[in-house]
Amino acid sequence: MPDIHAHRQPAAEFWLGVRHELPLQLGVIPFGLVFGILGLASGLTSLQTILLSSILFGGASQVVFAQLWAAGVPPLVVGGSVGVVNLRHVLYSASMAQYLRHLPLRWRILLGYLLTDEAYAVSIKRFRDGPDSPYQHYHLLGSGVTLWVAWQASTLIGVIGGTTIPVSWSLSFAIPLTFIAVVAPSVRRRADLVACLVAAALSLICQPLPWKSWIIVAACGGITAGWLTQYLAKTKDKFNSDENAGAP
Amino acid sequence: MIWLVMILGGIFTFATRFVMLSGWVARRLPRWLIDALAFVPIAVLTAILVPAVLIDPATQQIIVIGNKRIVAAVVATIIALLTRNVIATISSGLATLWFVQWCM
Repeated sequence: MPDIHAHRQPAAEFWLGVRHELPLQLGVIPFGLVFGILGLASGLTSLQTILLSSILFGGASQVVFAQLWAAGVPPLVVGGSVGVVNLRHVLYSASMAQYLRHLPLRWRILLGYLLTDEAYAVSIKRFRDGPDSPYQHYHLLGSGVTLWVAWQASTLIGVIGGTTIPVSWSLSFAIPLTFIAVVAPSVRRRADLVACLVAAALSLICQPLPWKSWIIVAACGGITAGWLTQYLAKTKDKFNSDENAGAP
Repeated sequence: MIWLVMILGGIFTFATRFVMLSGWVARRLPRWLIDALAFVPIAVLTAILVPAVLIDPATQQIIVIGNKRIVAAVVATIIALLTRNVIATISSGLATLWFVQWCM
């Protein structure tokens, strides 16, 4: 006899996604507020700052966009820097693909748009841990919409209220602090540390480069250094295990 | 012009999120690409945050001695490693910065 309670219904999946996403908003909302303030301080208009949050919908890339645009960097370099910052989403997209590929195109477009770091983090966990359900994509809809609303609202509040906050509060420092909160715990392997240190060194050494291209150079340098370290470690392990396999 | 760059940036960003769901590309990314992409967040965020801490906005010079932001960043890093909590990291960093500014 088929069990009618075997699958959570769409609404239940949706609200589960919302509930899983809510705690992460403690980190998202201050970032959104600060971005709203920073956007205006960088010389973007209110409308540009607010729409950037829905058009790019990626905090780090929005910060890069605002800062580079304020510095009068050529549009191509601004676009290229935003592109590099957002490349990581390809990984999320790849790991979500097996759960979402069967959906109609309009669903894949909507969920693709909503696929951010924070929504990915909670929904991939739900997909992996199961239980499998034909409605499980509603979980990503719930987490994605929650983040979207929090991000737009906090940007808006930052834009409206930002001018009343005195500069001496150094609230813009919350942005590098947010990045520290993400980077520090994610450095686990030696290759991560190498990527981190090389990116840090290049970001300082390459400051004199024109058009603030140090962002692209330091990011690409860090990625390459981390990848090489991991590749060399793998090759060495393989060499060692081949050697051991030959031993009696 | 700014609108054009915003919209093109938005289309590219959407493409990075949608590409593997599209069904228009190979089902699997090559292993080396997955390995390389895994380093994107660490490299990108470090590249943005280090100059934001070390470089003085007024003079555009690297400042180490007497730089209050370094103290705050070090405290925030320790808190981040201990708690793995975003809000604790941000608030401890800001509180340290305010405290050091108040002391000096």
